[in-house]
Amino acid sequence: MLYQLALRNIWRNRRRTLLTLSAMVVSSALLILSLGIFSGMLYDMLASATEQYYGHMVISAKGYQDDRDMFLNFSLTTPLEQQLERKEILGYSPRLRGFGLLSHDQESAPGEILGVKPALERGVTGLADALTAGSYLETGDRNGVVLGSGLARRLKVVPGDELVFVTQAADGSVGNDLLEVRGIFTTGDVGHDNALALVPLPWLQNVIALPERIHEIAVRTDQPLNVAALAREFRARLPSGLEILDWGEMLPEMREVVASYDVSRLIIVIILYIATALGILNTFFMSVMERTREFGVLMAIGMKPGQVRRMVLLETFFMGSLALVCGVLLGLGLSLYMAEVGIDLSGTLTPITYAGGTILPRLHAVIEPGNVYIPASCLLVISLLAGFLPANRAARMQPVVAIRED
Amino acid sequence: MPIFFRLKIFPAILALSALMTGFSLPVAAEDFNLAGLVRRVEQQYTGQSSISRVEMDVVTGHWERHLTMESWSLGRERFLIRILSPAKEKGVATLKVEREVWNFLPKVDRVIRIPPSMMGGAWMGSHITNDDLVKANHIDEDYHFTLLAETAEQWTIEGIPRPDAPVIWGKIIYQVRKEPLVPIQIEYYDEEGVLVRRILFDDVQTIGERTVPLRMTVLPLEKPDEKTVMHYRDLQFDVELSEDFFSLAELKRRR
Repeated sequence: MLYQLALRNIWRNRRRTLLTLSAMVVSSALLILSLGIFSGMLYDMLASATEQYYGHMVISAKGYQDDRDMFLNFSLTTPLEQQLERKEILGYSPRLRGFGLLSHDQESAPGEILGVKPALERGVTGLADALTAGSYLETGDRNGVVLGSGLARRLKVVPGDELVFVTQAADGSVGNDLLEVRGIFTTGDVGHDNALALVPLPWLQNVIALPERIHEIAVRTDQPLNVAALAREFRARLPSGLEILDWGEMLPEMREVVASYDVSRLIIVIILYIATALGILNTFFMSVMERTREFGVLMAIGMKPGQVRRMVLLETFFMGSLALVCGVLLGLGLSLYMAEVGIDLSGTLTPITYAGGTILPRLHAVIEPGNVYIPASCLLVISLLAGFLPANRAARMQPVVAIRED
Repeated sequence: MPIFFRLKIFPAILALSALMTGFSLPVAAEDFNLAGLVRRVEQQYTGQSSISRVEMDVVTGHWERHLTMESWSLGRERFLIRILSPAKEKGVATLKVEREVWNFLPKVDRVIRIPPSMMGGAWMGSHITNDDLVKANHIDEDYHFTLLAETAEQWTIEGIPRPDAPVIWGKIIYQVRKEPLVPIQIEYYDEEGVLVRRILFDDVQTIGERTVPLRMTVLPLEKPDEKTVMHYRDLQFDVELSEDFFSLAELKRRR
C-alpha cells in the first residue's frame, strides 16, 4: 500500500521528479569522474616513479640502496624465485647496476647502466612503452643498449650507432666493451632520460666482472598503494643478508608527496561532496517541502505521521537509487573514456618531475571501487536526509496547519 | 674557505702568525718563493722531460692489484702512461695534453675523452683521480701559499686556493725537507676543512742531477684500509721527446 503510494507519488509530478533526478545523476556522475581524475594523477605520478624505474618493491643486499655499493650483490636462487611466484606479483626483474662512462666518437657522458633480462624487465617497468626511436632489447640480444633521450642527445647517437662503456670492474680492472644502440626512450623524468641505459644482464655481468650476480630484484605488484603489507610478509622469509624495500621506503619524498596529495585531495573532495550534496539537498528538500499541504490532507483523512515519514523516505529512496544507478553508470562511462583516451595537455604543459615522480601533462582517470561506492552511498544518505527533514516537519504539524500552509 | 682569504687581508694577523711560527721574512717575497718550491715538488717526477717505468699497487677492501706501466712526460702539460701488465689490461693508456685527458681501450680499440664531469673519477682503479693528473701541475698557479712553520730540517707550507681558481681542495699542506729538497708528506683538505687524503713520499734516490723520492703512497683517509703505492723503477730525466709524441696516434699504439 505504502509502496504503491510512494511510486505513484513519484510519477504524479513527472517534471519535478525528472528535475530532481537529473540534478542528482549529473552531480554524482561528475563527482565520480573528478575523483577518478584525481586518482589518475596520483597513479600517474606514482607509476612514473615506480613503473619506469624502481618497481613497487625492491629486494637487494642490506644497505645496497643507500649508496649503491657494487660489492653488495647476491645471486638469484631457486627458492627466492619460487617465493616470487605468487598472484599478487605481476612481474619481477633481476638487475645488475653499473656506473661508468659512455662514449661515442668524440662525445662522452657518465651513465647509469642497468643489466636486465629484457622479457622480465618489461613485466616491471614500462620503458618499452616509452620508446621514441628504435626498438626495445630482445631476449638473447648480446650487446644492445636502450638509453634515455637526453643521454642519446649528449652522445649524439641514433639506433644502430655504437657506444663504448668504461667502468671500474669489481676486480679493480678497467672494464670496457662495445654496445650497439637499439632504442631510445623518453620518460619525462630528466634524471633518467639523461643518464639511464638498459643493457643485457650477461653483458654487464661480464664487463664489471660480477658473473651470475645481481644487485636487486625489482618487483611489480597488483596493489601499488598497499604494497607495505606484502613487503612485510616477504621480509620475514627473505634469506639473511637481503632486505626488501617498498617504494615508500625507497622514495620517502614520494611517500610524503602521496600523503600530502591525499590531504589536498581530501580537501577538494570534501568541497566537491558539499557542493554536490547541497545541490541534491536543495532539489529534494524543495520537492518535498512544496507538498506540505498534500501531507496535511493525507493526515486529515487518517494517515499517521509515521506513515507519512515512511512514505517520503520510500519515495526519496526509490528516486535516489534510480538516480544513483544512472549517475554511477554515467560517471563510470566518463571515467572509462578518460581512462582509455584521456585528454592530452602536452601542448600547453610540460611534465614536472618532483620527488622522483613525474606529473604527466594529461588528464587521465583511474577507476577505483572507493571512488564509486563511497560517493554513491554518501549521496543516497544525503538524499534520504533531504527528503526526511521536510517530511518530518510536515508530519509533526497539525493537519489543519499543514493544509493552510502556502 | 673564504675565512682564509679574509685573514690574508689583515697583515697584522699575518704578522702575528708569522711571529708565532718564528718566521719574519716579508710575506710577499716569500710567497713567490713558496710557489716556486711547491712547483718543484709537484714537478719532481716530470722535469723538462722524463721516461719512467712505474709499479702501482692498489689495495682496497675488495681487491688488490699490481700494475706495471711505462710513462713519458714533457714539461708540465703533456704526459702519456700505458699499462704493461696485467695482461688483461695491457695497452690501456692515458694521454694528458694541457687540461684534456683521453683513455685508450685496446679491447674495443677506442679512444675516450674524459668529460669534465668525470674528472673526479678514479684513474686506472687507483686512489688517484683524473683531476690529480690535470690539476697537480697547476697547483702553484691556483693556490696561494704561506709558510706555517719552519725547522732546521723542513718547511710546512699551506696552500689556499685563489678565489677564482677551478680547484677541488679547500686546503693543501706540504711538508718539504730542506736538504735534499724533497717532499715528505702532502695533506689534502676538502672544502669543509676535513683532512681527506695524505700522500707520503720515501725511497729518496738521486737520479742524474735530481734527488727524488721514488715511492709515493696515497692514503684516502676516509677508507683507512685502502692505499695506492706508486713506485718509480727506471726514471730518466731530460730525454729526447717532442710535443708530437703526445698524440692520439701514439696513445693508440700497441706494443
